[in-house]
Amino acid sequence: MRDFKQPKKLINKNYLNKINNSKKAFIVYKTIKGFDLYTDFSKKIILNNKSIIKFLRKKNNSKNKNTDLFIGFFGYEILNNLIGVKLPKQKSINFPKGIFYKPETKINLKNNLIFNSSKINKINKNFKININQNSYTKIFNRFKKKIKSGETYQIKICTKYKNKSSIDPLDFFCRLAKTNLAPEAFMIKDKNFSIISCSPENLITKKGLSISTKPIAGTLRKNNKLNKSKALKFFRNNIKETKEHNMIVDMERNDLSRICVPGSVKLKKEKTVEEYKDLYHYVSLITGKLKKNIKNLDIIRAMMPGGSVIGCPKISTLNLLNHQEKENRNIYTGSFGFIKFNGDMRFNIIIRSILNYKNISEISVASGVVIDSNAKHEFNENFIKAKALIDLYK
Amino acid sequence: MIYVIDHKDSFTHNVVHQLSLFDKVECDDFSKINKSKLNKATTIVFSPGPGSPKDYPLSSKIYNQFKGKKRIIGICLGFQQILFSEGANIVEQSKIYHGFQSNIIVNKSSKLFKAGHRFKVGRYHSLKLQEPFKIENFDITMRCAISGAAMSFENNIDKIYGFQFHPESFLTINGKLLIKKILSA
Repeated sequence: MRDFKQPKKLINKNYLNKINNSKKAFIVYKTIKGFDLYTDFSKKIILNNKSIIKFLRKKNNSKNKNTDLFIGFFGYEILNNLIGVKLPKQKSINFPKGIFYKPETKINLKNNLIFNSSKINKINKNFKININQNSYTKIFNRFKKKIKSGETYQIKICTKYKNKSSIDPLDFFCRLAKTNLAPEAFMIKDKNFSIISCSPENLITKKGLSISTKPIAGTLRKNNKLNKSKALKFFRNNIKETKEHNMIVDMERNDLSRICVPGSVKLKKEKTVEEYKDLYHYVSLITGKLKKNIKNLDIIRAMMPGGSVIGCPKISTLNLLNHQEKENRNIYTGSFGFIKFNGDMRFNIIIRSILNYKNISEISVASGVVIDSNAKHEFNENFIKAKALIDLYK
Repeated sequence: MIYVIDHKDSFTHNVVHQLSLFDKVECDDFSKINKSKLNKATTIVFSPGPGSPKDYPLSSKIYNQFKGKKRIIGICLGFQQILFSEGANIVEQSKIYHGFQSNIIVNKSSKLFKAGHRFKVGRYHSLKLQEPFKIENFDITMRCAISGAAMSFENNIDKIYGFQFHPESFLTINGKLLIKKILSA
């Protein structure tokens, strides 16, 4: 039995090459130690506004297998509909509103994903943006007025970058994992679409009756003058970042309070700094104990769409956003993750993502308008966020 | 029972949680108010919310109906809603406080809190009470230490209380005590 000494990366490499060439659909999701790969899907459920309720209510018998789960995503639109927020008619590419898969195989992979693409990416380097700086500023100023009149306290404007490319998603994902190993990263490769994301943000971790959420508000790019404690100082002294973060913390406490035992919602980590390869994030951790009668549907409704990428208060801000945005957000600011048959779940917020559908790549980004933000700064901030992904097309 | 009237805010359930430490709490959307719950309640709470009091005529109607008959509490928008229903003007302010922690001071008019006492509180408001204002039995009892903006009122005759700040926010130190005092006043 010397096999276990065989370097893991060799297994990775062979395995990833094999599965990528097999044309099988598969999903990769970041774990604490590495990645989990899910494949051999026995069921694929495409959700619509009606079937999502059936899907979330359905009880599945657990056989204690590590594949006793559904893994997939809810798009932005279906989550709006679930909480009674209707979207006006928008430009749409008719991408599914949500898809979940039942895997029959789950494989652990190490952090160091090694894979050499044999396929050629047909890449177009030029991206088109759907809102130029001029119109962005106009929208920005309109929303600032809404803040002054109290209709919203914080609102995130989404911009989209698009191009026509045919890509190998695994190749993109492995390269992204090298430059940006995010704790909620994932990819989905299916026949007619793929999603690649280096999301840093966990929206729901639920085990038994314990639930937590870990909102991020505040990002700082690394440079050689910064370290973790200096980053913390920067955030603490930056009144705008602090206020934005405070708002999100109170909103997430609120969303957990809808489904948790009174008095059990606790701010476990208040405004701490987490260090990633290229950036620092300003993060809080909020936990709670679920009330006994709470169902999966109640949890999804209370928590999604995740507040930190929408603004606050949720409902009025969603309405303002939806009447402004002419294009469907698709997966962007939806949630990816899994629901186990025993009711445990883990979901992220889909940001820093590429959606590939019908050979069109779509990268969406958003940044916040609060009373003291500046249109030019936020527009550029959006571009910086998109750039990490756009750079993959070089 | 405490009946919380929700103005579709993202902080209402923090209020519900805080109140639940003292009594049974029911909460419904302002547009779906349950009359029997309303009649059963010993305390009515107007929640925070987006927009301005003029957007919620139903809440003003409830206020006018139950003023003097039940204990009434308003938080943020709810604070403004009560004053607006009493004829006060609610106006935009030049400096806006969202997610802001600030110091407030209790003044001599307060019957529940010690004059001169300072609190650290969380604020989320675009609008404020226009002053001077005069309404019988209503006293402004706390003010922002810097701007002087009205931060709470007491009407101890009719048992009506309001906070412009958010006692349920994690930014408010000892918010639970503030709520306890007005619930037992």
